[in-house]
Amino acid sequence: MGLKRWRLENSKGSMAAISVSLKLARRALRQNLLSTLVAVFTVSLSGGLFLGAWKTKQSVKLAFAHSAGGFDAVLGARGSQLQLVLNALFHLENSPGNLDWEQYETIRSHPGVSEAYPFALGDNYLGYRLVGTMPELFLNHQWKSGTNYQVRSPGRIFSESAKEALVGAEVARELGLQLGDRFHPYHGLEYNPDRKHNDIYLVVGILEPTGTPTDQVIWIPLRGVQTMEGHDPEEANSISGVLLNLKGSSGLALDVKYNKQGDRATLAWPVPAILSSFFNRFAWLERSVAALALLMALVGGLIILATLRSTMHERRREFAVLRCMGASRAVVTGSILWQSILLSAFGALGSWIIYFLLSMAVSSLIHLQIGVGMNLPMLDGMALLTGGGILMLGLVSAWFPARKLYRSSLQESLNPHG
Amino acid sequence: MQFLSVENLHLSFRSPNGKSQPVVQVPTFSMEHNQQLAIKGPSGSGKTTFLHMLAGVLTPDSGQVRIDGQSLGAMNESDRDQLRSGMIGYIFQSFNLLNGFSCIENLLLAMSLNGASNLDRARSLLDKVGLIDREDHLPGQLSIGQQQRVAIARALINRPKLVLADEPTGNLDPTNTDRSLELLRSLCKEWGSALILVSHDPRVIGKFEHQVDWEELNQINGSKEVEVGKQ
Repeated sequence: MGLKRWRLENSKGSMAAISVSLKLARRALRQNLLSTLVAVFTVSLSGGLFLGAWKTKQSVKLAFAHSAGGFDAVLGARGSQLQLVLNALFHLENSPGNLDWEQYETIRSHPGVSEAYPFALGDNYLGYRLVGTMPELFLNHQWKSGTNYQVRSPGRIFSESAKEALVGAEVARELGLQLGDRFHPYHGLEYNPDRKHNDIYLVVGILEPTGTPTDQVIWIPLRGVQTMEGHDPEEANSISGVLLNLKGSSGLALDVKYNKQGDRATLAWPVPAILSSFFNRFAWLERSVAALALLMALVGGLIILATLRSTMHERRREFAVLRCMGASRAVVTGSILWQSILLSAFGALGSWIIYFLLSMAVSSLIHLQIGVGMNLPMLDGMALLTGGGILMLGLVSAWFPARKLYRSSLQESLNPHG
Repeated sequence: MQFLSVENLHLSFRSPNGKSQPVVQVPTFSMEHNQQLAIKGPSGSGKTTFLHMLAGVLTPDSGQVRIDGQSLGAMNESDRDQLRSGMIGYIFQSFNLLNGFSCIENLLLAMSLNGASNLDRARSLLDKVGLIDREDHLPGQLSIGQQQRVAIARALINRPKLVLADEPTGNLDPTNTDRSLELLRSLCKEWGSALILVSHDPRVIGKFEHQVDWEELNQINGSKEVEVGKQ
């Protein structure tokens, strides 16, 4: 038993009272281990869900914003701006259509455009998209401020005119592709073993991981997609879109030109605003999860209250005995408050653990599906605030039983008619 | 000066039909330092209530209790708590050891409530009551007689000036009754603690030199005065 753990020696006055209350609370929790565990688990789950829902939303938004690949805008076929962004930058959804090569040349020469890289889609290898583009994308473009793409040594970037491939880090890891490997692309964006092209591509380079959707793609020369065996020869000069970086406020002028006055192409600009509109579509889900978490927080509070009330009932005699031994009302009431504080503190700790696990799971899932890397969950202000909220919840839940206990007389508990 | 004195102590409870029901009416009662006194009386007659008032657990409707020159009525609750933790040891019929705490921890807890605990002293007392080899046992792991010995040790650990024992042998067999009683009385004597023991058992009462009949002391229907004296 707890001789070694007894820490009351030589503590005096109010410190002794606090120590005794704490000791009593710890014993009560241990004696009611099952209800303690249930209460802690429920509080942890509600706190973890609440924090997870809140933080995941923030992290996903941030991760998507950082994973836009350093582009301001995308020019594509007439259609939805969101579809264009998801297709061009996150390699999701289908391409809304094609653009003529001339359209690429026109926008490339626009004085408000600082970077323009055409890209073409239409094939995959074992489910991973092949994206045709120009080698300059990997030479000149900074996907993150001050950071160019890095090719793992001793690889290199593909040649514009060869059937060569530069493989994203995640694809290489998943498929085990290495330098010198050759593969047949498959037609379409979804893998279908019956639609294998005869062309053979040679892996000449593997990209260093970026934590962006780039890692989930096999990059080949633009001409490769355009002239792939089996593709329509009439489409050999068309592209799926153009990735753009703009100078100053030229986005406004281009927006008017393409979206308001023109009818042949769509300019998806500005990318962050379009992504925000994407997340706004899930606002209902976010609200539902928040409502669920709040409901669970309420349940957590009620469970703490029920645990304390049940404990109080069982410990009624114990409290009376303690009072007879000289324990003040503050000591016995304090033990109830401590019990609640400990429950809540463990609940807060548990909620952080659940939040951490939840975030890791969501992060892995998102990274696996679309290559967007999320930052590791941290104990930031919101996490600490949630922990504080749980402690407050515990104290509020303990308030009523503690108040009742404080006001109760020994006469009720000790059956004084003896 | 008397160590303990009671004057015109009166307490009523409200009965279920709303009427005031007098429970304790003690005109005068006193005892000396180190005195050991047994109060005999039937169950349910108000003896425990009387002990609770002596301990400051219950506040009388009127009257006064003075312990070692201090009037309980003049004290606030905090002072009475302090008085109970340091000056009074309380023993219950059902022992009321704290179940989640080992024997030694029950003693240490009582010491802590008095301000500071001392492991050596707690062990020494457990040794005196013959339970040093059970110091880490929980109450549920002890026999009834052993539990009562721990309860006695707990009541005496702060060397109180007054020990109140409420039917302390009510749940014990004759052998354990004799043993516990002997232990309680000898420890009180050794440490100079006054002892008031209430019981309905004539065999227990008979072992005390000083005895009081509760029905004479508690004059709900009369006005007799009873003095503590040799039987």
